[in-house]
Amino acid sequence: MTQNELKRNCLIGLALAAFALPLVVSSPTYLHILIMLFLFAYMTTSWNLVGGFAGVLPLGHSVFVGIGAYTSTVLWLQYGVSPWIGMIIGGLLSAAVGYLIGKPTLKMRGAYFALSTMAFVEGVRVMVENIDMLGPFKLNGPRGLNIPPLPAQEAGFWSFQFATKEPYYYIALTMLILVLALTYYISHSKFGYYLKSGGEEPEAAQALGVNVASCKVAANVLSAFLTSLAGTFLAQLTLFIYPKSVLTLDLSFELAFIALIGGRGSIAGPVIGALLLRPVSEFSRIYFSDTLPGLHLIILGVVLIVVMLYQPRGLTEPLLGLFDRITAGFIRKPQEDTV
Amino acid sequence: MDLVFFAQDCINGVLMGLIYGLVALGLTLIFGVLKVINFAHGSFIMVGMYVSYWAVTLTGLHPYLALGIIVPAMFLFGYWIQNLLIRPIFIAERDVREPITVIVVTTGMWYVLDNLALLVFGPDYRALSPNPLKGQMLNFGEIFISVPKLYGAAAAVATAGLLFWFLQKTRMGRAIRATSLDRDAASLMGINQWKIFNIAMGIGTAVAGVAGAVLTPFYNVYPTVGIPFDVKSFVIVVLGGLGSIWGALVGGVIIGLVESIGPIFMTSTWTEAIVYGLFLLVLFVKPSGLFGQKHDW
Repeated sequence: MTQNELKRNCLIGLALAAFALPLVVSSPTYLHILIMLFLFAYMTTSWNLVGGFAGVLPLGHSVFVGIGAYTSTVLWLQYGVSPWIGMIIGGLLSAAVGYLIGKPTLKMRGAYFALSTMAFVEGVRVMVENIDMLGPFKLNGPRGLNIPPLPAQEAGFWSFQFATKEPYYYIALTMLILVLALTYYISHSKFGYYLKSGGEEPEAAQALGVNVASCKVAANVLSAFLTSLAGTFLAQLTLFIYPKSVLTLDLSFELAFIALIGGRGSIAGPVIGALLLRPVSEFSRIYFSDTLPGLHLIILGVVLIVVMLYQPRGLTEPLLGLFDRITAGFIRKPQEDTV
Repeated sequence: MDLVFFAQDCINGVLMGLIYGLVALGLTLIFGVLKVINFAHGSFIMVGMYVSYWAVTLTGLHPYLALGIIVPAMFLFGYWIQNLLIRPIFIAERDVREPITVIVVTTGMWYVLDNLALLVFGPDYRALSPNPLKGQMLNFGEIFISVPKLYGAAAAVATAGLLFWFLQKTRMGRAIRATSLDRDAASLMGINQWKIFNIAMGIGTAVAGVAGAVLTPFYNVYPTVGIPFDVKSFVIVVLGGLGSIWGALVGGVIIGLVESIGPIFMTSTWTEAIVYGLFLLVLFVKPSGLFGQKHDW
């Protein structure tokens, strides 16, 4: 067995274990934590398409989460459209917004781009908080939208509402695996190489004939679409959305933090980041939120600073190196070309 | 609409705008020298407000006399943060002119500082007491002017003037300007750029402290107080031109006027959306701002 085969087998094993996990874990609290972990890994992976590969720092991705959440919820509440269809419509809407906002902003350099995405999400939040009715659509301003839960026998796949946590778990896990596969495919495609070259050395890439700006915009559109799907999922999971829950800087920052700590630009980075940080967030929120408010954000900030100072490329590389060293004894012949 | 009300709103807008300019002044100074945007600037304002709150509460000094404590404390705070956290990144990423890692680390600082304040001081809104300026009004006919805001605006202009004089006329100011123009050339002339960076960060933070002291007499202190000022400072410095001292004041006045005159025509919460719209517009059309230098963008 070579190193690569070992890694592939480990990944398959992990995925199988993840699918089997609800057989062992039945507590809704723990399942909820796992669902949120997968959801954040999913959103961060989507973020990573533009934040990691394209080499910019978007701090406004919660706009797309918000669009996804609001679109599907409004369509379901007012027209009875299945959230699954709303999810796709929201995704397309987000993609359009991602194009419109990405086209002018992605030409800007580092800090300017980060600032403009921040201003955009704050502006959208303020607007949504001020709008009760957007044309025929009821947004309900700062009070947000409440999805009335259906009785258990009517809940099901079509209405995207389930009486237990397990279906949510499997949907989130499937979404995560699909987006990871997509990222893997993209990072090994011509588009992925263009994107990475444009992120690392824009001038050199342009000199070689890569249209860096349009690659970045395309990545932003795709990332917006994918992130938006998570917004719909979040709305259906919590059944209550309001501007401060889905359209905040906090959410945007958390995605960026997870990706940066995990390792931006690597496929495993967002997953490892979410694995490391989500439990910290959840448990300190559960156990310390009364006595030590904001503790999890302090931990997040300190971890972020320390990681940036000592491992600016994130924790994935050293962790994978550790994995290689541990498994080096088990494999027959270590190969030179392992990734 | 009454003309008196309009004049009243204009005066308020200009006064508040100058204070906004003061709030953004530290950010623009730090950017001018280090070429990085300090995302934790709002938290520095928050720290400045807490320092001035405690300085006044514990000593009973007049808020403006307490500046004698606030300014040195904040200078040391900024100097120390720069030396401890940001200098290593500059050393590690020497060849990158505007390392993205700095944005990340300052954002981390923002989170740590805001939540530390929450942890230590709790979520309470604190009003300054003893507050000799509380609710004082000057009265010209039908026009009322808030005294703490008037003092604040005067302090903003004075601080900007002092900073300008310092940068133009003193030896240290010249060294700072040389470093901001060309780090390597400045180093070759015998300027220790790390020391200059530390000092620039210290001065920027001290100015944030002045802003905090000016704000506390009429603005409550609470852990997340920095966030509205944070985003507003970004808008102001981009509007006025990153790195420009007078640009910050002009940008501040523009924002102040939008915020005070806007509510005549629409719901006041909408003006906030207009401010962000204005910001995006400037970024798209003239990213170097009104007074910024072309090469800084």
